[in-house]
Amino acid sequence: MSATSEWVTPPTRPELIESLVSGVDRYNPSNVGILEDYLYHQIRSREYDCLANLAILKLYQFNPDLYNPDVVVNILVKALASVPFPDFNLSVALLDDRASNANMEEPDPLPGLLPFLNNLHSLLQQCRFPAFWALYRSDALESLRDNYTVEVVGFEDSIREVALRAVRATFQKIGRKRLGSYLDLEGSDLDEYVARLGWRSDTSTGVIEVPQNPDNQIASTVVQEDIKLPQLTKVISHAISAV
Amino acid sequence: MSQPRVSLWATEEIDEELQVDVNLAIGNYGQNGLYEDAQPKIDEATLIAVQHQMAQQAAFSQIPDAVKRFIVHFHQAVLENNLAEITVAYESGWNRLTEKHYSKTEWPEAEVIAPLVNDDQLFLILYRELYYRHVYSRLQPDIDDRFHSYENSCELFNYLLNSEDGPVSLQLPEQWLWDIVDEFIYQFQSFYVWRAKVKTKTEEELVMLADGSQVWSAYSVLNVLYSLIQKSKINEFILAQQQNKSEAEIAEIVGDYGSLPLYHMLGYFSLIGLLRVHVLLGDFTLALKVVENVELNQKNPFTRVTACHVATYYYVGFCYIMLRRYPDAIRVFVQILNFILRMRQYHTRSYQYDQINKTADRMYALFAICNALSPSRLDDNILNIVKDRYGDQFAKLSRGDEGLPAFEELFLYACPKFISANPPPYDDPEQLASYAEEPPSEPAQRHLALFVADVRAQAAVPTLRSFLKLYTSLDAAKLASFLDADEEEMVQQMMAVKAASRSVSRVGTEKNLLDGQMISTSDMDFVINENMVHISEVTVGRRFAGWFIRNTEHAQRVLDGVKNGPLPLAPQPAAGSEAESKSAPAQQKKVAWATAAKA
Repeated sequence: MSATSEWVTPPTRPELIESLVSGVDRYNPSNVGILEDYLYHQIRSREYDCLANLAILKLYQFNPDLYNPDVVVNILVKALASVPFPDFNLSVALLDDRASNANMEEPDPLPGLLPFLNNLHSLLQQCRFPAFWALYRSDALESLRDNYTVEVVGFEDSIREVALRAVRATFQKIGRKRLGSYLDLEGSDLDEYVARLGWRSDTSTGVIEVPQNPDNQIASTVVQEDIKLPQLTKVISHAISAV
Repeated sequence: MSQPRVSLWATEEIDEELQVDVNLAIGNYGQNGLYEDAQPKIDEATLIAVQHQMAQQAAFSQIPDAVKRFIVHFHQAVLENNLAEITVAYESGWNRLTEKHYSKTEWPEAEVIAPLVNDDQLFLILYRELYYRHVYSRLQPDIDDRFHSYENSCELFNYLLNSEDGPVSLQLPEQWLWDIVDEFIYQFQSFYVWRAKVKTKTEEELVMLADGSQVWSAYSVLNVLYSLIQKSKINEFILAQQQNKSEAEIAEIVGDYGSLPLYHMLGYFSLIGLLRVHVLLGDFTLALKVVENVELNQKNPFTRVTACHVATYYYVGFCYIMLRRYPDAIRVFVQILNFILRMRQYHTRSYQYDQINKTADRMYALFAICNALSPSRLDDNILNIVKDRYGDQFAKLSRGDEGLPAFEELFLYACPKFISANPPPYDDPEQLASYAEEPPSEPAQRHLALFVADVRAQAAVPTLRSFLKLYTSLDAAKLASFLDADEEEMVQQMMAVKAASRSVSRVGTEKNLLDGQMISTSDMDFVINENMVHISEVTVGRRFAGWFIRNTEHAQRVLDGVKNGPLPLAPQPAAGSEAESKSAPAQQKKVAWATAAKA
C-alpha cells in the first residue's frame, strides 16, 4: 500500500466529489458550492481530502469573485495537520496575491492571519512542538482560535498526531515530560492519552516506550551484492561449450 | 452596363478619382468591372480600401522571388497533403529563408501573399501561425500582434476541432504539431507577463485591454487543451496500450479522431501542454495528475519529438521538487540529462538545440538543489558536470543556513516563468491606479518563499549529520554540548533530521506518477532511546561481481578471437621460435597465448 494512494484518493471521498476532482467539471464555477460543502463536512467529521480542497483554491484562482477567505483559512488549518505532506505549501502556492478587493463587505482576514499560519507551519516542519503550542495558545492567535480552529473538530488532536508521527520515527523510549511538552498535555491527561494509544508507560521512571515500527528500528547493514544466475549465463555457457 | 465612352464623359467632373481609376485599369484587368459599376462619387471607404490594396501590391512586389516560389511550393504540398514535402518545407525551407531575408523583420503579412495561394484560408491560418511565431521569437510583439495571434490560434483550433464533417484530413509533421501547442502556451504566458506590467502601458493599450478581457483567458486556453485531449481520447489510448490490448480494440477505443495521427499526436502534446500550464499557474498536484499515465522511459512511443520529451521531464521533475519528493526528482533529472548527453551529437543543426541546452542547464541547477537536500549516491557523471558548472554555489548549498542565498539563486534561475492567473484590474481605473502603486508580489517570488521555507526547515541537517556520522552511540547531552545548543532544541532538530531523511518516492514498481512509498533516503540512521542516541550506517559492500564478469567475458572473447584466427604460416619454425623470443611485441602475443592456454 503506497503512502500516497490514500492521499490522492481518500477512502472517505464520495463519488460525486471524485468525479468533480478527476474531471473537467472542476473548472465549472457553479460547482464551488459542492466543494465548499464537502470542506465543511471534512471539518465536522475529522476527514481530510487534500485534492478536493486544492480544487476549491483553483476555482478561486480563476474566478476571483468567488473568493471566500473563511474557506481559505479553513483549508490552511486543515493542511497544517497533514505535515509532513506538503499540503500547506501546495495550498499557499495557489493563493494568488490579490489586490485589495474593494468590493468586500467585511475586511479580509486572510492577510492578517497568513503570516501566523506560515509561522505555525514552519514550526511544525522543524518539529519544534513546544514552540508551536506556545504560539498557538498566545493572545495574538486568539482570533484564529475563536473563529476557525474551534470549528474544526479534533484540530488539536490532529496536531498531536503530527507530533506523534515525528516521535514514533525518532524515539524508542521517550521521557514523560518531553512527550508531554510535545503534546501539550500533562498529568492525568497525558497518562490517559498514552493509554489510549496503547503505549507502555513505566510510571516509576517516567519513561514511555514507543512501539516498534520500521522507522525506529535501526541496524547497521552492509548492502551485499546479489549475484544472480542470469548474469553468469554467458560465462557458464561459454565454459561449457569450450569443454 | 454603361458604355466605356459614356464613363469617360462622366468623369470630367471628378478629376482626382479618375487618376486612381486609371491606374487601376492599367494595373489589373480584373478591376474594370468595379470601375464600370462605380458611382460617380466614389466614397471614402472604397478610396481607403483601394489605397490599401495599392500598398499591398507594393509590398507584394518587394517580396523576393525565392520567397514567392517557396510559398507556392509550400501551398502545393499542403493541398496535396504531401507530408514529406511539408516536412521539408517546414523544417529547412522556412528557417533558411528567415535567416536570409527576414532575420530582423517580419515576414510579409498574410493578406499580401494571399493572391499567391488563391486565398486558401487554411493555408493562410497556418502561414499566420508561422508568421506570429517568428514575431514572438525574433521581434517584440505589440498589442495588436498579441490580440491577432490569439484570434488566429482560435481559428486554427476551431478548424481542427469543430469542423462539421468530423476530423480533417490535413497532415502535418509531428515537429510542427508540437510547435503549435508549445507556441500557443508560450504566447499565453508571454501575454500574462506583459499584461502584468501596468506602468508601461499607453492609453490606447489600456482601452484595448479593458475591452479584451476574453483574449488569452485562462479558461479558453484550458478549454482548447482539454478539448484536444478529449477528442483524441489519448488517455484511453495510453491505458489500453499499457494493458496490451490488440490493435483492433485500440482503434475502437480511440474512435474517429484518435486514429488519425494528427489528432493523436496533438492529444499527447496537449497533455504535456496542460502539465506545463498547471505548473505555470502553481498547481503541481494537478499537473502530475494530468500526466499520471504517461510512462517516463525511452520506450515510450512519443519520444520522437525531442523538445517535447525534454519538456515533459523538466516539468515533472519540478513538480516533484515542489512536492518535496526529492529522490523522484533526482531520478527524473538524471534520466533525461543522460539522454541529452547521448543525443547531443544528432541535434546540433536544429534550432531546438539551443532551447534544449537551456533547459538542460536549468535541470543541472535543479539537480544540484535536490542533491543538497537529499544526498544520494546516484550518477557520478552528472554530479561531475554539475560541479563543473555551478561549482561554488554547489559547495555553498550543503552548508545549512549560509547556503540559503545559493538556493535562492539557483531556484530563481531554474524555475519556470510562473504567471498569475488574474490580470490587473484594467476595467476599473481606480483599482488600476492603486494596483500600479502597490503591485502584488511576483508569482516567482511567492513560490521561492515557499521553497526557501522548506529549505530552512532542513537547515540543521548537514551539521547534525556530520556529527552523528562519527559515533555509534552518543549521549544527547554530550551532543548538545558539542553543538553548543540547548538539549531540548537539539532533540527537536534531530526529529527534523529524521523527518528529512524520509521521503515519499516511487520505488520502481508504481505505474502512476503520483504513487509512492515512504523510503529512507539517507545512509545514516539513528534512534533516540530516552537520552541516548544510537546511530547506524548503511554501507555498500564492495561490488566486484560486475568487474569480474566483464573481464571474464572479455578474456573469453579474446580466446575465441585467437582460436578462430588464421594460424601462422606453416614453413616457418622460426616464426614459432620468434613467438617464444622476448622481443616486446611478441611478448604481448606470447602473453595472450599464455592466458588462452590457461583459460
